[in-house]
Amino acid sequence: MTVSCRTAQPMKVRALDEGSLFVNDTGRFFLASDAFAQRLHDDALSQAETDELRLQGNIIDPDDDFSLHSHAYGIAERLGGANSLDYLILVPTLRCNLDCSYCQVSRAGVNQRGFDWSDETLGGVLRSIDELATDSIKIEFQGGEPTLRPDLLRTIIERCERFAHKQFVICTNLQNLSADVLSIFDRDDVYISTSLDGSIAMHRMQRTGPLTDAFLDNLSSLTARYGPGKISALPTLDPRAPADIDEIIDTFSAFGLTSIFLRPINFQGFARKRHKQSREQDEGWRSYYERFVRRIIERNWLDKSSVLEESYFSICLRRVFQPGADRHVDLRNPNPVGVDYVVIDYDGTVYPTDEARMLARSGVIDLSIGDVQTGWNTPERLALNEASTNQFDPSCTVCAYQPFCGRDLIDDLARYGRVDIERTETEFCRKHLHIFDFVFEPIYSQDPAVRYSLAMWLRLPAIPEQLGVRIS
Amino acid sequence: MIPLSLQIAAEPATPFVTRLRLRPNDHTGPNDHIGETDHTGEADALFVEDDDGGTLFAGREGLISIDGFAGHQLSGDVLLVDPGAGRAERLLRSGSAHNTLLVTERCDQLCVMCSQPPKKTHIDRFDHFEKACMLAEPGSVIGITGGEPTLYKPRLLDLIEAVLTERADLEFHVLTNGQHFDLADVPRLRAPLYRRVSWGIPLYSHVPATHDFIVGKQGAFDRLHDSFSALMQAGARIELRTVLTSTNLHDLPALSHYVAARLRFVESWSVMQLENIGFAKNRWSDLFVDHAADFTPISRAIDTSLLHGIAIRLFNFPRCTVPRAYWALAPASISDWKRKYPPPCRDCRERDLCSGFFEWHPDEQAGVRVTPL
Ligand code: SF4
Ligand code: SF4
Repeated sequence: MTVSCRTAQPMKVRALDEGSLFVNDTGRFFLASDAFAQRLHDDALSQAETDELRLQGNIIDPDDDFSLHSHAYGIAERLGGANSLDYLILVPTLRCNLDCSYCQVSRAGVNQRGFDWSDETLGGVLRSIDELATDSIKIEFQGGEPTLRPDLLRTIIERCERFAHKQFVICTNLQNLSADVLSIFDRDDVYISTSLDGSIAMHRMQRTGPLTDAFLDNLSSLTARYGPGKISALPTLDPRAPADIDEIIDTFSAFGLTSIFLRPINFQGFARKRHKQSREQDEGWRSYYERFVRRIIERNWLDKSSVLEESYFSICLRRVFQPGADRHVDLRNPNPVGVDYVVIDYDGTVYPTDEARMLARSGVIDLSIGDVQTGWNTPERLALNEASTNQFDPSCTVCAYQPFCGRDLIDDLARYGRVDIERTETEFCRKHLHIFDFVFEPIYSQDPAVRYSLAMWLRLPAIPEQLGVRIS
Repeated sequence: MIPLSLQIAAEPATPFVTRLRLRPNDHTGPNDHIGETDHTGEADALFVEDDDGGTLFAGREGLISIDGFAGHQLSGDVLLVDPGAGRAERLLRSGSAHNTLLVTERCDQLCVMCSQPPKKTHIDRFDHFEKACMLAEPGSVIGITGGEPTLYKPRLLDLIEAVLTERADLEFHVLTNGQHFDLADVPRLRAPLYRRVSWGIPLYSHVPATHDFIVGKQGAFDRLHDSFSALMQAGARIELRTVLTSTNLHDLPALSHYVAARLRFVESWSVMQLENIGFAKNRWSDLFVDHAADFTPISRAIDTSLLHGIAIRLFNFPRCTVPRAYWALAPASISDWKRKYPPPCRDCRERDLCSGFFEWHPDEQAGVRVTPL
């Protein structure tokens, strides 16, 4: 028997080194030989092949209610994630006690006046919290340096008592640890996020200068005090001269930090325009990124006492297999702004993302969507969200990675000043085509070291015999 | 084994439901019946005294004397008292997480390993069960089983809705063969209170003929999928259940692909080891597979499921018979009243987390080779 191509799900294909990757709208995929691809095209599949496709959810019978709805469920699972507001990014002060090289605009001097929440703004924030309809809340304190205002942190945290599930992340430079701040850190629902720029030398140069030792002492004493899981650190790397890979890994490991989110410095506005060869730099960065992931795979295999991961790679990998497993607001589809999370700035202005706040401050483009007093259910927000999905984009619609990929309106606006640019011409698309190609390569690897790391990143208790289906 | 049936003597002519209590307003059980004592108090029978042979309670229906127990052992239990038969059933035992109501013994399938072989007759006790549920301890999950409960679907749904409307703290778990739901049920099952109902539904193979063979009914696989379609559209919570037998063990890896691809709407998937009772007792040597001897089909199914975000669990798998990597998936699943631990388990560190064995599991059989951890 043959399967008619009309009953097989429309599948999208991407040529990989080892064969053709077929992906359907629910994100089910398999890697097939050219011969199979030809048979599929010619409607000449064997009964066994048809059965295999059916088992894997790649055939639906249009008049079978179950198979239609099961398929629709699989698509629905890939969509969404943005429900009611339950995630606030708060900037209680823009003042900071450091002066990092790439942070001219998003800080104010430690003694400057007028860069902290006013009483009215605080009132508006508290009102927003009181009005949340959910029983869970996540609050991320950004800055400036939020620990300059422990009183505000405490007021906000205490106001969240009523929520059954609550999580507070304090993004801090860990420069000063007063007893007051420590007592906030001590709460079980408080997590600490800091920056650690790869190597100590780089951190000193980019950030802390002569104050580096104080930061390092604080980071060590906190990792000793809380153990793993409480503290995370992000490296900000200069893509033109990223630090030595092993040095980054060693620096993080020394503090017991196993998740490393590789971020290149995001040059905004003029800085970006000044670097004309940015495209080539992107290529350089991507090959550095691949080397980095390959290196942690090697190191995980050599030393199984802990599992290192590159956070964004893990997120993309889990998105391939486990829709809905992560709530990563930078990679999802649709990705509307101002729905389930917002940023409330030091002056009460509401932004859709932290990047949008930076863009506004650096004068690139004003993407504020409202303010904490009058709300953000504004025409600006609605206009943005019209374009917040990759579902109907002509390029994405034919792209095999669409079920796993997302949409980032703010990034498009920041780079191109518009959201309707041909998708494949955008940095977002180039980045994700690259990363998903790079994710599917190890999925089909037979190398035990690769399979070990992948299983760990997928949070599996054992190494599966096979991660991706292969049809020859 | 914990007895579920009591020898009693009581006055009234007809069966009735009552809850035993040591003292008026005595909040027995692990949780308090906050604010709820008053309007249910009239169904309570209060402790009078213990004597040599048993204990005595007194309620609105008169005296109930119970053999072989002291009052405090039964306090908080909800009983269905049948004076004519001289018996009482402990419908809801105080403090137990495994209370199950058997609503009918009829069934339209005939599974090869059925632990509770069906009977032709049906005694309708829904009214009693509804009363009992109203008296349940706060926050409990009440099991409903059969036979096939959905043979009486309208009455079953009435009971569920009546109880869950009155008692916002309760949940139901219903074991059903999934042969009787259709699209007409969707609007009803979409009611928010059904978020507190989960449906335990068996699927034995991805091969229709194999599934039909195991459940002893032609076309069962297809009918089951009609029900899945309705339940999925209603957003129902489904616990998929697969009992292992020699017939379907080797289908398990392919079945896991099927679940991960097509049954993504299930809340969890329970892979269950066989129970040596009912039909399985006589067919034991044909049906039972010693998973410890070859765990591969099971581990492959687990790996595929977890890879694709399906919450798979192993029921009735003693921990020491499962590779360590999967221990967390093998909970203490066997109901307290029918669970046993062979003597060597005494020294095992995992015992509290371990399923142990069914009371009726043959000791001499493969599988009781425990290795305390
Ligand atoms: S953005 Fe690019 S990689 Fe992502 S789905 Fe669209 S075309 Fe594919
Ligand atoms: S020794 Fe007994 S209690 Fe321990 S894991 Fe084995 S069966 Fe369970």
